[in-house]
Amino acid sequence: MSSISSISSSIHEFESPSRSQQALYHLRRNPLVLFGLIIAILWIAIAFISPAIAPVEPLQQDLVNRLQAPNELFLMGSDELGRDIFSRVLWGSRITIPAGLAVIIIGSSLGVIIGAVAGYAGGLIDELLMRLTELFMAFPFIILAMAVTAALGPDIRNAVLALSAVWWPRYARILRGLVLEVKSQEYVEAAHSAGASGLYVLFRTILPNCIAPAVILATLDIGTAVISFAALSFIGLGPEPSSPEWGRMVSIGIDFFDQWWMWLFPGLAIASLVMAFNFIGDGLRDILDPRLRGE
Amino acid sequence: MNFFRYFVRRVVFIIPLLLGITVVAFIIANAIPADPINANLPPNALNDEETIAAFRKKWGLDKPLHEQYLTYLGNLLRGDMGTSIKWRTPVAEDIAKRLPATIELATLGIMYGIVLGVGLGLVSAIWKNSWADYIARVIALIGVSFPVFLIALVFLTLFYAQLGIAAGPGRLHILMRPPPTVTGMYTIDALLNGDWKTFGNALSHLILPALTLALYISGIISRITRSSLLEVLNQDYMRTARAKGLRERYVIGFHGMRNSLIPVVTVIGLSYGNLLVGSILIESIFAYPGIGFYMFRASTSQDFPAIMGVSLLFAFIYVGVNFVVDILYFFLDPRIRVA
Repeated sequence: MSSISSISSSIHEFESPSRSQQALYHLRRNPLVLFGLIIAILWIAIAFISPAIAPVEPLQQDLVNRLQAPNELFLMGSDELGRDIFSRVLWGSRITIPAGLAVIIIGSSLGVIIGAVAGYAGGLIDELLMRLTELFMAFPFIILAMAVTAALGPDIRNAVLALSAVWWPRYARILRGLVLEVKSQEYVEAAHSAGASGLYVLFRTILPNCIAPAVILATLDIGTAVISFAALSFIGLGPEPSSPEWGRMVSIGIDFFDQWWMWLFPGLAIASLVMAFNFIGDGLRDILDPRLRGE
Repeated sequence: MNFFRYFVRRVVFIIPLLLGITVVAFIIANAIPADPINANLPPNALNDEETIAAFRKKWGLDKPLHEQYLTYLGNLLRGDMGTSIKWRTPVAEDIAKRLPATIELATLGIMYGIVLGVGLGLVSAIWKNSWADYIARVIALIGVSFPVFLIALVFLTLFYAQLGIAAGPGRLHILMRPPPTVTGMYTIDALLNGDWKTFGNALSHLILPALTLALYISGIISRITRSSLLEVLNQDYMRTARAKGLRERYVIGFHGMRNSLIPVVTVIGLSYGNLLVGSILIESIFAYPGIGFYMFRASTSQDFPAIMGVSLLFAFIYVGVNFVVDILYFFLDPRIRVA
C-alpha cells in the first residue's frame, strides 16, 4: 500500500504548476513587468483619489505667485497664471488614463467586429471590408486622427473618437484571420447543425475562441494610445488650453522655455505612464512568445 | 519574375490606394464638419455673400456628392488645396515653400535613426542578455515611451541652453542670410554656393532636431533588428557558416545581416509615419520652419484647409515611401525573383 501512495504522491509532484504559479514565475523572471505594474496601478489610484490629495484645485489661479520654481508651497512650481503644477499633474491623470483606455476599448471592439464579420461572411463583404482596412492602414494613423479631430472640432471627446476611428484596422486584420481558422472547426459545424443562427454562432461560438490575441494586442497598445492622445492635445486638437491635460500643459510650457518645470513635470508624467504600460506589454510578449524568451 | 513585371504590378496596386486616400480626405473634409463653408472660410468672410458664392462654385458644393468629389479631385490635380484661413495664402504654395526644410530634416533624421536603431539592435542581438544588450534596450524603450516633444525640450535645454554646443531654434542664425535658392535645402544650397560658413550654421541647426527624430524612430527599428537577427542567428545555415571556419564578423555581417534585413526594411518604411508625426511635434519645438511647424500652427489655430492639405500630403508621402520599400524587397528577397 505504501508503495502506491508514494507513487501517487510523486505523480502529484510532477503535476504542472497552476496558472497563478506560472504567472508568479514569469513575474519573478521579468522584474520590469512588476515595476510597470506598480507604476501603472499607482497612476490609476492617483486618478481616483486626486481630488482628495491634490493641494489645490487644478484651475485655481494665484497671480501673485506666478511662474514660481518648485518650492515647498508649489512642489512642481506654478504656471503663468499661478496655478499649482503638482495639482494639475495629479488631476491630469483623470483625463489621460480614461482617454487612452477609451481609445483602446472602442477602437479594438470596432476592429474585432469588423474583422469577425469580414472573416465570417466572406465573399464580397469580406473583400470590401478588407480593402477598407488596407486603405486606413495606408494613412499614418495619427495624421488621420488629426484630420478627423480638426473636422469634428477639437475637444477631448472628439480626440478620443478620432483616435478610435483610426485604431481598428490591425485588430480587424488579426480577427479576420483567426475567424477564418476557427470557422472550419468541427464544433462550429456542430453549432450550425444544431440550428443556431449565424449571428449566434459568430458571437457565441467563434469569437470567444479567437479573442485572446486581440486582448493581448490591446494591452500592448495602451502606451501608444496614451502617447497619441497626448500628441493630439499637444498640437491643440484636444482639450481647451486651460485644461490640466499633460500634453496640453507641455505645449503651453514651450512658450516658457526657461521655466522648465512647466513642461518637464507633465512630460515626465506622460513618459512614466507610457513606460509602465510598455514594460507590461513587453513582458507579456516575452512570456507569451517563447522564441523571444532568453534561454 | 523580372523587375519590370514586379514594378508594374506594384504600380497597379498603388493607384487605387492613392485614389482611396483622396476619397477619405474628401469625406473628412466635406461630410464630417456640420458646415464645410464654416470650416473652410475665415470668420469675417462668412457675412460676405460673394465670397461664399465663389467658394460654393469652386468646390461645386451645390452639386451632388459624387460630382463634388470629382471637382475636388480636379482641383487637387491642378495643385489647388484650398486657401489657408490663418495666412490667407494657397495651402499648396505654403506647403511647397516649406517642404524642402522638412525633407532636409527628415533625411538627416532617418539616416541617424537607421544607424542608431540598427546599431543598437545589432549590439543587443550579438551580446544578448549582457549589460550592453540591457543598455541598448533601455535606450530603445526611452525612444518609444518618452513623448518626442519632451525629448526635444530636454535636448534643447541641455545641448543649447546649458552646454551651448549646438545651435538652437530656427534654420539659420538670425543675422545670416539664406543661401540662393536652388533646392530650398539650406545645407545643399550653401554647398552649391561654396559657402562653408552658412553650411556649417545650417547643419548645426539641423543636428538637435534630427537627433530627436532619430531617437524617436530608432526605438522601433532596434527592436525589430534585435528580434529578427536573434531569429536568424539560430538558423542552421549560420552554424554551417561557422563550421566552414568563417570569421564571426563575416558570419554575422554577411549571412546574418542580409537575412535579417527584410523585416528591418519593412519597419523603416512603416516608421516613416512616425517620422512625419514626429516632424510636427519636433519642428514646433525647434521653431523649425518646415511642414511640421506649419501643421502645428494650423492646428492650434484650427486652420482646417491647411490641416487637410498637410494630412493629404503626409499620406501620399507615406504611401510613396512604402512603395519604395516594396520595390527594395525585389533586391533584398531572392524568393520574389524566383517566384
